[in-house]
Amino acid sequence: MPYHLFKCSECIPEREKHAVIKGYGETLTDALPLGYLNTIPGSISERGCAYCGAKHVIGTPMKDVIHLSHGPVGCTYDTWQTKRYISDNDNFQLKYTFATDMKEQHIVFGAEKLLKKNIKEAFKAFPEIKRMTIYQTCASALIGDDINAIAEEMMEEMPDIDIFVCNSPGFGGPSQSGGHHKINIAWVNQKVGTFEPEITSDYVINYVGEYNIQGDQEVMQDFFKRMGIQVLSTFTGNGSYDGLRAMHKAHLNVLECARSAEYICNELRVRYGIPRLDIDGFGFEPLSASLRKVAMFFGIEDRADAIIKEETQRWKPELDWYKERLKGKKVCLWPGGSKLWHWANVIHEEMGVEVVSVYTKFGHQGDMEKGISRCEEGALAIDDPNELEGIEAMETLKPDIIFTGKRPGEVAKKIRVPYLNAHAYHNGPWKGFEGWVRFARDVYNGIFSPIHELSLLDISKDEIPTDKGFLTQHLLSDVNLSEEVKNSTVLREYTGDYDALKRIKERKYPEFPRKSGLEGELSAV
Amino acid sequence: MTEVDVLDEIKKERVEQLLDFILKKCLWQFHSRAWDRERQNENIVVKTMQILCNEPIKTDTAQDRCYYVDAMYLAENYMKRFPWISEIDKGELKEIMQGLKERLDYLLIKGSLNAELSDPHY
Amino acid sequence: MYCDVKVKERTGIINPIFTCQPCGVQFASIGIKDCIGIVHGGQGCVMFVRLLFSQHFKESFELASSSLHEDGAIFGALNRIEEGVDVLLMRYPKAKVIPIISTCSTEVIGDDIDGVVRKLNAGLLKEKYAGREVHLIPIHSPSFVGSMVTGYDLAVKEFVTYFAKKGTPTEKINLITGWVNPGDVTELKHLLSVMGVEANVLFETEAFDSPLMPAGNHVSHGDTTIEDLMDTANAKATFALNIYEGGKAAEYLEDEFNVPAIYGPTPIGIRNTDTFLKKLERITGKPIPESLVRERGIALDAITDVTHMFLADKKVAIYGNPDLVISLAEFCLDMEMKPVLLLLGDDNSKYKSDPRIIEFQEKLDYKMEIIMNADLWELEDRIKNGGLEIDLIMGHSKGRYIAVGYNIPMVRVGFPVYDRAGMYRHPIVGYRGAMLLAEQIANTWFADMEYKHNREPVLNVW
Repeated sequence: MPYHLFKCSECIPEREKHAVIKGYGETLTDALPLGYLNTIPGSISERGCAYCGAKHVIGTPMKDVIHLSHGPVGCTYDTWQTKRYISDNDNFQLKYTFATDMKEQHIVFGAEKLLKKNIKEAFKAFPEIKRMTIYQTCASALIGDDINAIAEEMMEEMPDIDIFVCNSPGFGGPSQSGGHHKINIAWVNQKVGTFEPEITSDYVINYVGEYNIQGDQEVMQDFFKRMGIQVLSTFTGNGSYDGLRAMHKAHLNVLECARSAEYICNELRVRYGIPRLDIDGFGFEPLSASLRKVAMFFGIEDRADAIIKEETQRWKPELDWYKERLKGKKVCLWPGGSKLWHWANVIHEEMGVEVVSVYTKFGHQGDMEKGISRCEEGALAIDDPNELEGIEAMETLKPDIIFTGKRPGEVAKKIRVPYLNAHAYHNGPWKGFEGWVRFARDVYNGIFSPIHELSLLDISKDEIPTDKGFLTQHLLSDVNLSEEVKNSTVLREYTGDYDALKRIKERKYPEFPRKSGLEGELSAV
Repeated sequence: MTEVDVLDEIKKERVEQLLDFILKKCLWQFHSRAWDRERQNENIVVKTMQILCNEPIKTDTAQDRCYYVDAMYLAENYMKRFPWISEIDKGELKEIMQGLKERLDYLLIKGSLNAELSDPHY
Repeated sequence: MYCDVKVKERTGIINPIFTCQPCGVQFASIGIKDCIGIVHGGQGCVMFVRLLFSQHFKESFELASSSLHEDGAIFGALNRIEEGVDVLLMRYPKAKVIPIISTCSTEVIGDDIDGVVRKLNAGLLKEKYAGREVHLIPIHSPSFVGSMVTGYDLAVKEFVTYFAKKGTPTEKINLITGWVNPGDVTELKHLLSVMGVEANVLFETEAFDSPLMPAGNHVSHGDTTIEDLMDTANAKATFALNIYEGGKAAEYLEDEFNVPAIYGPTPIGIRNTDTFLKKLERITGKPIPESLVRERGIALDAITDVTHMFLADKKVAIYGNPDLVISLAEFCLDMEMKPVLLLLGDDNSKYKSDPRIIEFQEKLDYKMEIIMNADLWELEDRIKNGGLEIDLIMGHSKGRYIAVGYNIPMVRVGFPVYDRAGMYRHPIVGYRGAMLLAEQIANTWFADMEYKHNREPVLNVW
């Protein structure tokens, strides 16, 4: 049977349709986990709410914006300093968060006045910021405050400001995904097409579904800039509010995430005729292919090829050093949504690890289709895993490492499975060529940790050698390695800096001559 | 097995090779709704076939160019990975590509268990 | 009057000091053994609180959600509680105590959590779980009232109210620790142990600092038992060390079972620890032993090394939970420092009449500001735009960017602390806590002197 019912979930048999073992010779038409259905209460699922999906995941990475939540303080507090999306404006959006602080009297008498005061206060506190997003919460949705009307009123009163309203209360949908969706549609409906940008290149893209975790966006933007491509906007990591209002002026939408980010791209295609190109920024081969495709769209493949060649020469020997040592290691790939399919195949091919399980907290069936297609046979795929299922899976599969969130990572630690933070990364960025080596290094350091090795021993029962003062990662990883690999003069460990973004920030970009006005315009449309 | 059966088997196997590459390496076939997937499959598989058969390819609109780059990626990799592609005649190749398109349509649209494919809304 | 007590003038919050009530209830509930709370609301109300706890303790705690979705928000979601209780009981055979914790959404829609508990008690628990000990405790904690601090206070009271049961009077005391760390519980238990005093400790959270064991032990949880909670009615007295985090429960036990309530002190600093021990001596009749005289001496010896040479006259801003902030300020004053700004993150009207605050108002001879309903912008704005100059910040990690952004040394204290390793293990209460805290303040200052080349050669001969 391809569907899998966990022992711990036998009493909630509807869970059976949420887990599938990818069988030999079986296809997606034989079995596919159900997805994006209401959570079973009391199951201790790991899902968040639609408010956090909208505000925390998609909204807040926008960097030059006051992010104001209309509700009691908790929603704001929770979605502040719990992610690692940075920005190149000194992390304004990471450092400051705003709540209207709704209290009992507001619940009874309405909180629209409170909201107005808040808007004024916030702009007064940060006079250099002229943009705001207001997020509805459960409380403000249920009392029925008309946030849109207030926002309109305030924009009239203060002509130099612009406000975006996102109505995505926590209860709206089975998981955070409901919020991803709502904020996407709201943005394209309210804001796209309301700002005319300065076009500086013949080749202009929107980069959609990239959230600049530990600098991923800056790494990718670096490649695009080296090719002379203008990244008009990034949705939303390190993205600017006005840039995103100008999405309609791009020639191509380069899409990296899934689900709701697809919707915005589809709408941009329908409304403005901008095609959508899905790419993978993780891993040497997928990234090279992606850069090439984007360049080929504009007819500048040579620029992509030069970058790919340079980067591959620089970093491939380092990636392969890790691959030799990670071969055959078992991985549970348990992220939130898109990384299950971004990574499932490429970590197998380029790091040599075996993906024994994939899961998604808030993904849809479409994410599972991709994930299952991309992992090897025998892998266990789980939708909306709950605490006990996760533990049962780890105990049965005995992975060497698990890529998941912070808190489930603490559970894994106790079962003595090393963990890497799949959402926020350990030592990111993990995108780009160097980033991919950094990921491999994090995996390696996680698995071959001497402390981890000690945690597997029971001092009261096990034989423990008394002639060892220390071990190292190398001593652990190289035990069964061939002499050839061990002594290779080609392969080497990671040699980059602690902060991989420093070099990018200092880079001078080539100036490519633009085509003459009319010709440029024509060829670009 | 008759000779025809053997040839059928070979064809099937080749379709599966091409399919496996798409499933593991591409994303364009996984758009979120059925009508999207039909359009993607049709355009990209046909363009790939045209490239492999040295036929003229329409690239004058932005949308066509976008299909084209995905098709180019596929064609280049197919040539690199599957030497039989350059050994068989074009008629046969077209049949295989047609088979590939049918398999894709079945796995990801007609036979798909993804309940959201027919959702009329986003 | 030099000490100015006022409420933040802005209506909104920029960078909150506290989160909302349900978090406080959840924090109390993880202190109880075999307890898994069900939070009745959106999933974020649990998911983020679990994340917060795991950020602070680097551990995972079990808390469930009723997973309120759209249909429930419209038609009512009591059925989600019924199903949630059943699913939880089926899959967690050890679970005995299940607080049903409301949130803003379910309070606004008016879900009757008391009614559903009655229904479950009369139905599901009798029929399907006959013979199993299960306690369902409705706790109303709308997020638009109070803060995480009042939520904690409320939860302790609700648990005590539910369980406390008159039996044979004992020689024990009730010790309600307030919102503290495992390291503090260890230290408090140490003080009681050398005094020879037994206690019902609310809550026994030492095990939050849980080991990595060969057999694997996937979650952490508290160790206060149902029996401990029942026995609170029979104690000699209740020590609510933090007035705002357990005071309500102490009051209840006094009103209902004539167990004398002793409010405070939060035993932070030598003087407050002295007061605590003296009160303990008076109530239990047990003398303070020589070993504590010695412990006190070690602490005094260490603190003397750093106070008048380094800490004297240093200006400090402190924010966080009210009892923590006030008692830290008191300790700082004893160490010759000058707390110039205290930020209390909610609008509790009792702060104004807090005797400790009144004492600041009456006796201080330099300017101290106390802001109620404060946020972290109150501090940053004063530094950035108001010309406030301070030498040190004391508070939790949510304020870290003020320290980072304005190059001000900061001592991490309170909840949550996630940007320094292992702080939950370091006590700040008792003599040992006073000593460690003073040393931490001094070491933080020393590192800052070195980074900024600010008279750092004086450390050569210290």
